[in-house]
Amino acid sequence: MDLLEIKGLKKSFGELEVLKGIDLSVAENEVVSILGPSGSGKSTFLRCISMLEKPDEGSMVYCGKQAAHFEGGKMLYAPNSELKEIKSYFGLVFQNFNLFPHYSVLKNLTDAPVHVQKRSKAEVEQEAYALLEKMGLRDKANAYPHQLSGGQQQRVAIARALAMKPKMLFFDEPTSALDPELTAEILKVLRALADEQMTMVIVTHEIGFARSVSDKVIFMDGGVIVEQGAPSDVIDNPSNDRTRAFLKKMEEK
Amino acid sequence: MKQKRVISLFLAAAVGFGVIAGALTSCKDKKEEKRTKLIVGFDAEFPPYGYKNEEGEYVGFDLSLAEEVCKRNGWELVKQPIDWDSKDMELKTGSIDCIWNGFTVTGRESSYTWSTPYVDNSQVTVVLADSGIESLDDLADKVVAVQADSAALAAFESEDATEENKAYAASFKELQQVPNYNTAFLNLESGAVNAICMDYGVAKYEIEARGSKFVMLEKPVSTEQYAVGFLKGNYELRDEVQKTLIEMLDDGTFAQIAKDWELSDSVCLSADDTVLDGSTKKTESFSDKMLRICKQLLKGVGASLLIFALTLIFSLPLGLLIAFGRMSRFKPLSLLMKLYISIVRGTPLMLQLLVVFFGPHFIFGVSTSSEYRFYAVVIGFTLNYAAYFAEIYRSGIQAVPVGQYEAADILGYTRQQRFVRIVFPQMIKNIIPSITNEVITLVKDTSLAFAISYTEMFTLAKQVAAAEATIIPLFVAGVFYYVFNFIVAFVMSAIEKKLEYFR
Ligand SMILES: Nc1ncnc2c1ncn2[C@@H]1O[C@H](COP(=O)(O)OP(=O)(O)OP(=O)(O)O)[C@@H](O)[C@H]1O
Ligand SMILES: [Mg+2]
Repeated sequence: MDLLEIKGLKKSFGELEVLKGIDLSVAENEVVSILGPSGSGKSTFLRCISMLEKPDEGSMVYCGKQAAHFEGGKMLYAPNSELKEIKSYFGLVFQNFNLFPHYSVLKNLTDAPVHVQKRSKAEVEQEAYALLEKMGLRDKANAYPHQLSGGQQQRVAIARALAMKPKMLFFDEPTSALDPELTAEILKVLRALADEQMTMVIVTHEIGFARSVSDKVIFMDGGVIVEQGAPSDVIDNPSNDRTRAFLKKMEEK
Repeated sequence: MKQKRVISLFLAAAVGFGVIAGALTSCKDKKEEKRTKLIVGFDAEFPPYGYKNEEGEYVGFDLSLAEEVCKRNGWELVKQPIDWDSKDMELKTGSIDCIWNGFTVTGRESSYTWSTPYVDNSQVTVVLADSGIESLDDLADKVVAVQADSAALAAFESEDATEENKAYAASFKELQQVPNYNTAFLNLESGAVNAICMDYGVAKYEIEARGSKFVMLEKPVSTEQYAVGFLKGNYELRDEVQKTLIEMLDDGTFAQIAKDWELSDSVCLSADDTVLDGSTKKTESFSDKMLRICKQLLKGVGASLLIFALTLIFSLPLGLLIAFGRMSRFKPLSLLMKLYISIVRGTPLMLQLLVVFFGPHFIFGVSTSSEYRFYAVVIGFTLNYAAYFAEIYRSGIQAVPVGQYEAADILGYTRQQRFVRIVFPQMIKNIIPSITNEVITLVKDTSLAFAISYTEMFTLAKQVAAAEATIIPLFVAGVFYYVFNFIVAFVMSAIEKKLEYFR
């Protein structure tokens, strides 16, 4: 079953049409990478499917439940209770982490499960410690975000998203705020998640990583999907000139 | 070489100082040699003795007398309106030469060097015509207003007050001190006080000017005399003025001026009266005096602290509500709050206090009780500070990065949870420095309660300073505010330190 089905997604900011009709379906356990030049609308797309931004047109279905569709000239949304349920299916990891600075690492992980999902504190804390262990941050449980390196902060942010037990995770350039060493740290974590069959949509500029970890690669430019398919097709044998030009440019860096 | 230069520099400096010092002393000598002007201090709200007329000029019986005295001595008359509570300091610093303004001798014999009395005045009681009050006996459990440091106050409370008057004072619910007679009459009209005790001449004038709403009780509270007051020991000037006054009495000018001001009934200048030199003041050790003054000020300290605490307790949460309204997406509400904030920040707090206190009567016709005075202070301060806090909250909330909101939304927090759990703690950290500033200002602003005659620390200090003819109470008040603010700053920096655990 497809966990995520997006059809004909459009979004404009004023006059500027940023998304011109994007289709994407993501199957369970699938890892999808989105590549594309700056300004092509990758973040906007991710923000739309995370419901931080409202699309102008299109339909969005999560785990078989329709969150929104376009009908009679406007977007129609599912009732609030259902939206709340749907939102619990996914998590989002930001480029700049957005950890809560006033909470310790542990509380960053447990606060939402306890107060939003109303789960038992003891159980949530136990799981949180396990997650931190996995991220190699067990000893940082009582530290505050500003005391951590960027790589550590991003690992906490990933753990925070995982603590909500989402069915899929979205990442918006999770490594671009980090040094190369720290980038490797995070990519290792993502690879481990992929091995555990986590369903993920990752916007990234790390071509090598995308090639090795993705089931499907999407190349976006100018608000449309230019090319998509297995990494061996899109990255190694691109059929579109724009994709080729982009990959060439990335190689030069 | 170098040494030489230093020495010559030093010499030049010494010469410079010498020249300046010389100039200053010669200046002073000249002043003592020949007087060219007389600076008369007076309360500009004390008709008919001294006040501002409709043309905006300072006029009055006393000023006419002073004018004539100056003319005869070839002096220039400088009319210097003063804050009545500060009269002693004005006199001591030489910024005025004398107080000539229906200045009551009774009770102050030893504090000044006096001319002979020229007006005999009585203290009378004014009430609302329809109040049913007919004598001082009817004023039991009522609020009676007197001007701060006035003869009426002395008639009830000073050591020389008669036993009868002391008993009356004890029977009043409160003897309320007001800064001026205009305030007193506003209070009387609005019902905040039930009677005003004041000078006969002033009462006659005010009742004529304000109409039949007010009446004077028949029996006077006391009788008293007015004279010109000079700095204690300034016999020279006193004698000159005194001599001229007697000349004016002899040639009829004095009587004519009295007639012009319709005061013929009250004048009493006589060449036979002896002059008072103010030399009988009993001595008191400095520490005793200090202790006594501090004790007197203690009541004011409590009042100031109460205003401070209640204002914070009410305005901090109210400010948050106003900030929410201001940031609301419901346009009319946000515009209304914006208007409210701009009015509060754009007008003086003192004016706002007056509006809160007198507004209910003059806008809605509700009669004001005396208890309301305190509530009005707290309400006025709260409304004012809430507006300032609202803007601080707003900027503190806006400084929380949008990423925090988005992270909270993705994690499924409701709007309320998002504010309480995520935004609020970060806002608090953002605003602590601005809040500290505001709280320190509040400590000092509590003194503005004097605008509606609420006796807090500073008002009391001014009253005591006037009554004791010393600036010690003002100094003590200054120390109080400084220590208070020192504690506030300490507490706030402790809170700031506590919040340093995150960034
Ligand atoms: N809130 C907004 N208001 C107006 N324009 C916006 C807004 N957000 C994005 N845009 C515009 O939309 C276009 C796409 O932006 P987007 O951030 O989606 O690009 P991107 O593919 O993520 O680029 P990058 O690789 O640099 O992150 C850009 O031209 C951007 O300026
Ligand atoms: Mg982006």
